[in-house]
Amino acid sequence: MARAARFTNRFDIVLFGACILLSLVSMVLPPNLREPVAGALRRSLVAPLVRLQRGAEKWRGAYLTAEREELRRDTLALAAARVPTLEADNDRLRQILGLGSKLQWGFIPAQALQGRGRADDFTITLSAGSRAGIRERSLVVAPEGIVGMVQTVDPSMSLAILFAHPDFRVSAMSADGSAFGIVQPHIPGTAILNPSQTGALQSERWMLELRGVPFRSTLKPGAVVYSSGLGGIYPRGIPVGVVVGEIKTTEAWARTYLLRPSVNPAEISSVMVLTPQRGTAGLNNVWAEVGSVDSATRRIVAAGDSLARQAASAEAAARRAAIDSAVRTYRDSARRDTANTADSIARVIPGAPVIPRATAPRPADTAAARPRGDTTRGARP
Amino acid sequence: MNWSATVRTLILCSILVFLHYTLRPLLAWRASPDFLIIALLLAAVRVRPGVAAMIGFAIGLASDSLALGAFGAGALAMTLIGFSWSKLKAVFFADHVLLNGFFLFLGKWVYEVVMNVVERRMQGAELLMQILVWSSLSAFVTAVAGVLALMALRPVLETRAA
Repeated sequence: MARAARFTNRFDIVLFGACILLSLVSMVLPPNLREPVAGALRRSLVAPLVRLQRGAEKWRGAYLTAEREELRRDTLALAAARVPTLEADNDRLRQILGLGSKLQWGFIPAQALQGRGRADDFTITLSAGSRAGIRERSLVVAPEGIVGMVQTVDPSMSLAILFAHPDFRVSAMSADGSAFGIVQPHIPGTAILNPSQTGALQSERWMLELRGVPFRSTLKPGAVVYSSGLGGIYPRGIPVGVVVGEIKTTEAWARTYLLRPSVNPAEISSVMVLTPQRGTAGLNNVWAEVGSVDSATRRIVAAGDSLARQAASAEAAARRAAIDSAVRTYRDSARRDTANTADSIARVIPGAPVIPRATAPRPADTAAARPRGDTTRGARP
Repeated sequence: MNWSATVRTLILCSILVFLHYTLRPLLAWRASPDFLIIALLLAAVRVRPGVAAMIGFAIGLASDSLALGAFGAGALAMTLIGFSWSKLKAVFFADHVLLNGFFLFLGKWVYEVVMNVVERRMQGAELLMQILVWSSLSAFVTAVAGVLALMALRPVLETRAA
């Protein structure tokens, strides 16, 4: 009996040890060996569970829609409050349509499912897979810019890493091409931020870093950073992020900038997956005319300045004309008033001094041409 | 455990797994209950420690298949938790609901700590905040959900004398 108990205890320990060993082995497996195992699990055991989750998310969407409908019916005010949401959705769809029309070919639209579990903060599941034409290392983009890269492809779905994933890297540059560097996720606690930066940021978790920028190149806060196309994976001209400010790191020979990503991770719902051929063909004019942005901005500012100058000079001329006209009118009326006053005084008070009329030159067709009978000269004996 | 109890436990675990993939997305809370952990506890206290470790390993590996960066971490955590629960069941918390809740809290918290440490995605103050606040909150919600589930399922889980 005791031997049997010892045997079962040993059996439990062996099973436990085997499971721990297998877990550790799975953690250190290289991707090319790990992926078949994970893929087989996803296609077999986990596939129905993912379908369940997709259904639950649809139910949630339907529930929220129904709730919104009820609120809309309840009061007109709540219906009005829904307008911004509709506008946002509309804008989002317009942006997606706009991106599609700019890309013209070589893209696959997909829905991004987020929040699948504890460990999926930096990955998204896409609703399209190899059947739709998605391949590994395909780019995932949104109307705002880079979202990430497809890592694993199954027939009906695929997994992509987000730009905040620790493995994410992209060669990037400023809009005018004066500064180049490598964009990678910002790991909180590894860099010293200014107090203004820490105050402005609610969370550093989703931020990016532009590393390796030469010291001679400086970027101002608000400058847009684009992919440079140098890495061979990401084509040139996709917005990556916006400069927040420079940060201090251990890299003493180059500048490092903190970037706010172009794409808000919370708003990733509909995305476009670019085929490799589309990426190779280039993405010029899709997001921006990279390289001429600054000069275009300068031209616009200069045009605005000249227009402003023209408007200002026209306004000043009009003001001067109005003042001149007012002055003339005032002088004429003052002249007439003075003459009338002198005449009336002379009429009322005989012997009163004659107040000379205005000395200003008068036109020939005024008082000189029309001698008046009631003047002082005529009234005196 | 006889066949009837085994089937009942299997059905209840399946229901909990179903809830994990349906109720959690419906709730969409940041600290939502982890029904996989509750299912593991339900099964672990009814089987041998070795089998509990295997169940934990299987559940963890399945959930890891959707996480590219942490493959194996969930399996490791679930294996540890399953084995520990099965070992501790006779000593501490055979059928006591509150003790079950406490161990659910502890198990989920340990799971979160293992995942956070193994993934190495957070460091310093952020890691501390995640472990102390969000992991604790998630563990608490899981414990409450587990206690409610155990109380509701108690009539089904009790072994009836023939």
